[in-house]
Amino acid sequence: MASPFSGALQLTDLDDFIGPSQDCIKPVKVDKRLGSGVAKIHIEDDGSYFQVGHDGGTRKLEKAKISLDDCLACSGCVTSAETVLITQQSHEELRKVLDANKTSAPGQQRLVVISVSPQSRASLAARFQLNPTDTARKLTTFFKKLGAHYVFDTAFSRNFSLLESQREFVRRFRGQADSKQALPVLTSACPGWICYAEKTHGTLLIPHLSTARSPQQVMGSLVKDFFAQQQRLTPDKIYHVTVMPCYDKKLEASRPDFFSQEHQTRDVDCVITTGEVFKLLQEEGVLLSELEPTPLDSLCSSGSAQEPTSHQGGGSGGYLEHVFRHAAQELFGVHVTEVTYRPLRNKDFQEVTLEREGQVLLHFAMAYGFRNIQNLVQKLKRGRCPYHYVEVMACPAGCLNGGGQLKAPDTADKELLQHVERLYSMVRTEVPEDVPGVQELYKRWLQGEGSEQAGRLLHTSYHAVEKASSGLSIRW
Amino acid sequence: MGLFPSTKCLPPAISAPARTTSCSPPRRPCRTEGRGPARSALTFQQIRVHVAQHVGDPQLLAGTGATVDVQPGRLGEGGAQRRDGQGAWQRRGQATLRLLGQSAASRAPPPAPAGQPCASGGVHTRGRPPLLRGRCWSPPTSAGRTEPACPGEESNALGSRQAAMKDSLVLLGRVPAHPDSRCWFLAWNPAGTLLASCGGDRRVRIWGTEGDSWICKSVLSEGHQRTVRKVAWSPCGNYLASASFDATTCIWKKNQDDFECVTTLEGHENEVKSVAWAPSGNLLATCSRDKSVWVWEVDEEDEYECVSVLNSHTQDVKHVVWHPNQELLASASYDDTVKLYREEEDDWVCCATLEGHESTVWSLAFDPSGQRLASCSDDRTVRIWRQYPPGNEQGVACSGSDPSWKCICTLSGFHSRTIYDVAWCQLTGALATACGDDAIRVFEEDPSSDPQQPTFSLTAHLPQAHSQDVNCVAWNPKEPGLLASCSDDGEVAFWKYQRPEGL
Repeated sequence: MASPFSGALQLTDLDDFIGPSQDCIKPVKVDKRLGSGVAKIHIEDDGSYFQVGHDGGTRKLEKAKISLDDCLACSGCVTSAETVLITQQSHEELRKVLDANKTSAPGQQRLVVISVSPQSRASLAARFQLNPTDTARKLTTFFKKLGAHYVFDTAFSRNFSLLESQREFVRRFRGQADSKQALPVLTSACPGWICYAEKTHGTLLIPHLSTARSPQQVMGSLVKDFFAQQQRLTPDKIYHVTVMPCYDKKLEASRPDFFSQEHQTRDVDCVITTGEVFKLLQEEGVLLSELEPTPLDSLCSSGSAQEPTSHQGGGSGGYLEHVFRHAAQELFGVHVTEVTYRPLRNKDFQEVTLEREGQVLLHFAMAYGFRNIQNLVQKLKRGRCPYHYVEVMACPAGCLNGGGQLKAPDTADKELLQHVERLYSMVRTEVPEDVPGVQELYKRWLQGEGSEQAGRLLHTSYHAVEKASSGLSIRW
Repeated sequence: MGLFPSTKCLPPAISAPARTTSCSPPRRPCRTEGRGPARSALTFQQIRVHVAQHVGDPQLLAGTGATVDVQPGRLGEGGAQRRDGQGAWQRRGQATLRLLGQSAASRAPPPAPAGQPCASGGVHTRGRPPLLRGRCWSPPTSAGRTEPACPGEESNALGSRQAAMKDSLVLLGRVPAHPDSRCWFLAWNPAGTLLASCGGDRRVRIWGTEGDSWICKSVLSEGHQRTVRKVAWSPCGNYLASASFDATTCIWKKNQDDFECVTTLEGHENEVKSVAWAPSGNLLATCSRDKSVWVWEVDEEDEYECVSVLNSHTQDVKHVVWHPNQELLASASYDDTVKLYREEEDDWVCCATLEGHESTVWSLAFDPSGQRLASCSDDRTVRIWRQYPPGNEQGVACSGSDPSWKCICTLSGFHSRTIYDVAWCQLTGALATACGDDAIRVFEEDPSSDPQQPTFSLTAHLPQAHSQDVNCVAWNPKEPGLLASCSDDGEVAFWKYQRPEGL
């Protein structure tokens, strides 16, 4: 059975085999009571457990609940059973929330916000033979019909992610004399890559990861902080859904770093894949192409463009290109007109250099797919990585080829991917610095670039996961 | 790991013509000296009577006019003559011929519809019924053999047959290679002068001859933290790769009698089960319990880089082996399948899946020409698969430009436990197997059999070759008949195989 998770995630020991007596970090949480240690446990017919004390009194024992978050934190018995990892976040869950919204009292209702990624939109456009603008508008219609209140585009939050990445690189490049681990900077927008890095080479890789949040999580901050304030709601009253091209994004949304203790709510409550949107359309018996278009929503008043916008640099966000151009200008005063890629070992491993008078000033690379990640990590381990910045993605060919994208039964995978790439690049691109509303938000919402707010809401941190290797789990 | 070798491993010419088995011994006439009365070819009826007496089933004698005294005890304790497998044989009219292992009743494997594997391919050559656990008994060895024998002399024939099969494999010597541990695998260097062994003691040992005996020339320690599961020599003989349960693969460079670990390949999630060099010397394959097969490439500076990570198998991958002259990779897995891979554009893809085994496939071996592949399994059979390229004469359907693989022969009933290794001699075409019943067996293809449906006969069977499971058998690439084996008892044994007379 093919797992929908990216290759990098599949190989990080998500094993169905749960070794006997392997340590679970979340044992039964029972409040410790003083008294003699011995007690009997009695099992009722319905399967519930009762502890029988010395005096004969019984006490029902609570079942230990292991949440998705617990599973992610541990690396002991993580099971790849899809039901565990995906049930909490699925289109069925979304339906439940939307249905509950319809029937609950006005005070109990939640504001439903759906943020759509440009990659998912391109995949749907290819399937329904529409152009990106029409797809965006018709999707807005569809989601609002289902019960959503606002439909946004994560290309907007991506602006922040790119700007923060640019600034971060320049800062680290300038400070490289002070810290050996400043360079290379490795992108962190891909959760499949992050999961692998944290689990298998935590101490080696984490110092190199960019701390800038991914577009999905910046959108989480935007919706649950800025937008909530605007709507005069507490963050837990908003149900934030994102539409993404892969399943790994579900794991990203579940990270404890993106959970607000104060408001007891996640920045992104539910991630559904492009495939799941397609299922929703099928369940509703709706053909996207037949829907009437609805004007697009925008997070800030000054950005009320009626067509979506995007960024240069490929279907995975364009990190390499943006950081390269910005660094060339900021550090060396060079204005780069066109970024030239040089393919190396395979088409998912390419490099870009900035040279002046025969000297290499900047050496960037993109490494997509597990085999290239492997080679990159090995180079890093041996201290032989020649790059300053690497855009790392777990899926070969990048996000447009994510595990949650739509497949066409009658088209070859390669052709379909090319079609999706064409549709993706049809959208007008903007330079993040020039996007209306972004600078405004930096001023209004974040109180300036590099502020404490910006650091808290636009950046994150990573944690190495200790491997619990039990001898009992060895299978010959 | 600091020293990078300056001399590059030179790949041998890949354009070498496919080797043919030019050394198969000619069919010998029936010798009579010292083996009792002269034998002559039997009639069909005589054969049936002979077999019926051994199998103890009067049904087989229908129409022959002969009777038989059925003595259940003749077949060993417990009278195990009516096992399911035998019952099936008796049911068919052609049963006796099958029992004698002839493929004369040739049924061409039905051409499978495009893309579908043939369900039960080819010929089944059956041997004696499976051994009951722990017991050593002498079954009627005429079952599975095409050998004529006088009905009245069956006990003599039996005894001499077993003797013949034991004599065909002569022990040359034993060495305690990995004391207090298991010896997992053996590999002869391409020149046939050195034998590398590896084991549970985390070491690799290199053995060479000194006069008549085998001595340990080097010990490669400090390379691995856990059991070394497999070793493989590069085609040029200058490098040795060792795959270990510590999830790494070490590459050792040979410098006269010294070996130095020049690099360690990391990346597998858990135990690496096998490593193999491609005939070109530029590529290396590893496989692991993490269900993946990795292909590595050596670049100009002797740096190894991962070229592809293949996740086709659904379970632990046990063994990888390269085709002798094409860049085709085969892998065997706990998921009961064998998969084949080739390069496509800038990545490797799985181009075929061989299904048929009913349990873990433990090992693989290509025949000298590379047209056939032998696989051995926990289901106690060895299967021979044949490659049919598109547009083949036999009319086997292929999908696209990839060849089809069909199972053309199954050797069942010869082994009583899991078969852990199979080795195909590149000089003589003999097939050796390492079995969990502590025995070593050798099979040879009957020269008169149809290449599309070959039959193999058991030509050597040495029970108690070791005192525990035999893990590996390896034919010397230069000296015909020289076979090395190793076992859980930690010992390596050297054997001389000679195809027995009259068999």
